Amino acid sequence: MTGPTLAALLAQFAPLAACAVVLVALRGRPRTAAALAIAGMAVSFAASAWLVAAVAVPGRSFLAQTVFLPVDQAHSLAFGVLLDTLSTTMALVVSAVTLAVMVYSTGYMAGDPGFARYYGFLALFGWAMQGLVLSANLLQTLAFWELVGLASFLLIGFWFERAAPAAAARKAFIMTRVGDVGFLLGVLLLIRTLGLATIPDVIAAAAPGGALTGRTIAVAAALLLMGVIGKSAQGPLFTWLPDAMEGPTPVSALLHSATMVAAGVYLVARLHPLFLAAPDVMRGLLWLAIATALATATMAMVATDIKRVLAYSTISQLAYMLMGLAAGSVTAGYFHLVTHAGFKALLFLSAGIFIHHAHSNDMREIAGRDPRAQRAGAIGLVAGSAALAGVIPFAGYFSKEAILGAVGAHGTTLVLALAYAGAALTAYYSFRMVFLTLVPAGAGATEAGGAHGGHGGTGAPAHRRTPGERAMGVTVLVLAALTLVLGYLGPWLGVRLLPGEAVREPFELGTGALVALALVAAGIGLAWIEFGRAGAPRIGFLERVPALARFCGDNWYLDRLYRATVVRWAAALARAAQWNDRTVVDGATDGVANGTVGGGRLLALVQNGNVQAYLTVAALLLAALAYALGRVAVAP
Amino acid sequence: MSQLHWYLLVAVLLFCIGLYGLVQRRSLIAMLIALELMLAAISLNVVAITSLAGGDAESATGNVSSAGQVVAVILIGVAAAEGAIALSLFVAIQREVQSINVEDLSELKG
Amino acid sequence: MNWDAFLFGSSAALALIGALFAVSLKNIFHNILGFALALVGVAGLFLTLGSDFLAIVLLLVYVGALGIAMVYAVMLSQPLDTPRTPRSLPKIAGSALLAALVAMALWLVIRRAHFPGPPEVLEVAPQWIGRRLLQDYVLAFELISVLLVVAMIGAVMVARRDPGRRAPGTAAGTAPRPGAPR
Repeated sequence: MTGPTLAALLAQFAPLAACAVVLVALRGRPRTAAALAIAGMAVSFAASAWLVAAVAVPGRSFLAQTVFLPVDQAHSLAFGVLLDTLSTTMALVVSAVTLAVMVYSTGYMAGDPGFARYYGFLALFGWAMQGLVLSANLLQTLAFWELVGLASFLLIGFWFERAAPAAAARKAFIMTRVGDVGFLLGVLLLIRTLGLATIPDVIAAAAPGGALTGRTIAVAAALLLMGVIGKSAQGPLFTWLPDAMEGPTPVSALLHSATMVAAGVYLVARLHPLFLAAPDVMRGLLWLAIATALATATMAMVATDIKRVLAYSTISQLAYMLMGLAAGSVTAGYFHLVTHAGFKALLFLSAGIFIHHAHSNDMREIAGRDPRAQRAGAIGLVAGSAALAGVIPFAGYFSKEAILGAVGAHGTTLVLALAYAGAALTAYYSFRMVFLTLVPAGAGATEAGGAHGGHGGTGAPAHRRTPGERAMGVTVLVLAALTLVLGYLGPWLGVRLLPGEAVREPFELGTGALVALALVAAGIGLAWIEFGRAGAPRIGFLERVPALARFCGDNWYLDRLYRATVVRWAAALARAAQWNDRTVVDGATDGVANGTVGGGRLLALVQNGNVQAYLTVAALLLAALAYALGRVAVAP
Repeated sequence: MSQLHWYLLVAVLLFCIGLYGLVQRRSLIAMLIALELMLAAISLNVVAITSLAGGDAESATGNVSSAGQVVAVILIGVAAAEGAIALSLFVAIQREVQSINVEDLSELKG
Repeated sequence: MNWDAFLFGSSAALALIGALFAVSLKNIFHNILGFALALVGVAGLFLTLGSDFLAIVLLLVYVGALGIAMVYAVMLSQPLDTPRTPRSLPKIAGSALLAALVAMALWLVIRRAHFPGPPEVLEVAPQWIGRRLLQDYVLAFELISVLLVVAMIGAVMVARRDPGRRAPGTAAGTAPRPGAPR
């Protein structure tokens, strides 16, 4: 076994081992459990970092695969690892974010009765995601894809004894399942055609002159995209993600940055050549992504729950990533995935500090509880929002710029205009969130500029911080520093992901970049006028129209639509099925059961407990056998 | 009828007399006796066939006639073990239910 | 009539008559005697096949050991003075019918089977058996010895009076007295 393979196995199985030990043996010892899970994840992180270095040479990749169950000539079950810059950097991001969340949670979840279970689930999540990222073939991807879904179900519904989280977990699981049906069919289609469906094989087969016909590629791409849409909360299937906020805040950070929802985007990036070979599907995806980005941006503009704002922004940003991928640039989409993982984890963890402090998710209530005393949280929130909005030195600027560039190079003017509009809306709602959270209502917001938010704490902290809270603060600060660094990764990634692609200089301020910056500035300015400045009305332009506010605040009534149509139809179908089950199926089963019981009664006469009766039966059978043998056994 | 067939006839009759006793007798000990008769019939069968109809089947250490005797020895060993266990069981059953009449022992009646 | 045929005939007759006694007589002691008689007959049949060793082993194990064990079991288990339930005629008839049926079926097989001729050399001396047992069949040999040990220990365990069990007739809850007569 070569070094990279070993490291890849280590990266996957260290969290799994931690998970198993924690869940089996350490349920009653939370501190040990947390330490073990963090250690496992740290090992995974180190292994991933080593892997990134091992395949950092452009064009280098490893594929190690072992077939363990050959089914027939062409088909078999195999497990393996595929290591290239895409998978290893993603593994690094996953392990880094999971590690950060784990460290942060030592403070956030302190004292929770399910503390050890929580860490077990986090480790499970880490394992599932690492497995998905590093998997070598589509069947393996499918397995880990479902494991990721399971882990997020467990974590969203972590406080399952309350009704809302349990319902949210169910909703997340079922809605992603809707997409996963398509994903399963797509994987099966590819396996049917290609046998093992190793990812490089699939990509090679999708190339012109490969084994796949255009029609197969289109169907497979569309089916796989269904899974992506469910997993990455796009288009019609996004409503599970805002509800998933019922989980603990660190879980949301994990879910929204590097794991669950990132899985869909990662898959598109992983199989990008396959998707590119289906241009019609890609055009559809582009439009779907733009629609999603704009729609969820409007929802983020009216939400008052800080986590819901972040959830809508996640959907919107995922849509941007898919936009970049659909526009043909794997680098742009994937780059945004990486930077987004950093700043979205930061945003959620900062929000978590406020929520932990104020015991409320409502931004107006948080604003009333001296938010600026939480210095780390304030710094994190501002830095993260700046990155989200696309302010120039922060990570989000570079990746969003790359996406807008890709869209501009590929699409029509209309598409580009909509994408720019989305960027402006992003800037607006992210700074609306900053101002609403950090500027106490009614107070003179003299120093409400973004960069000054961190210095707002005037009084001494009300209480001494516990080590857990210190861990939270340190995590947030580290991530905040990262948002300033991650943006310069673009060229490095670009060279390695797609060796032929032209590299864009990060600070190349073309017309597009200037327009984008102007729009961002306009968005922030509008947010400042409406929420930040002294005597601001603290009500957005969308919220002034009650109908629109209700419309946007209620997921564009999509959930109502689902309840009125799909859910009702499903319920009717379920009732019909229940009737069928009660009368037809149960009738048949009852008939069989009664017949069996009757036959049993009959046969019980033989089973009379008398050995000699049994012996008689045995002897009769012997005679019958001998008779049959006598008929057959003819002298040769 | 060849010589072998006479032996086989005796074995079959012995076997079926044993079967008759096994099915008809109520006493567990009598049933055991009948069972042992059947086992003896089988030993006889094996030895007779290997001695009189072994053909030229060979093995590493000899031909098949001695193999039949070895099988018979093993059968006798099994029969002895079985008899010992069965008799001790009968004693235990007698102590438990005050009877070794097999028709009384129907706890497993379905 | 030659000597071999006489020996075969008398042995077969002894075996079958003994077997009939063993299964049909009412007294259990007579059954055991009949069983011994039948096995003497079978031993005689082994003699006619040249298997002297086997005949002796059969006599030792069956007639000697097993017969004695049966007598003991009868004495330990069955009070001889208990009234015997009368035999039911349908059961006798049914059993006889069953036995006849099986005999006919088996005989059918034997008639239809093809047997090769006898081996050229009969290896019947005890040293052949020993060689076989310790070379070809050493696994079976060892298994049999294990089985015999297990059976011996098991027989002792099963048949001994269990001091932990409540003796029949004593009230539940009173501590059983080990070794107390019941």
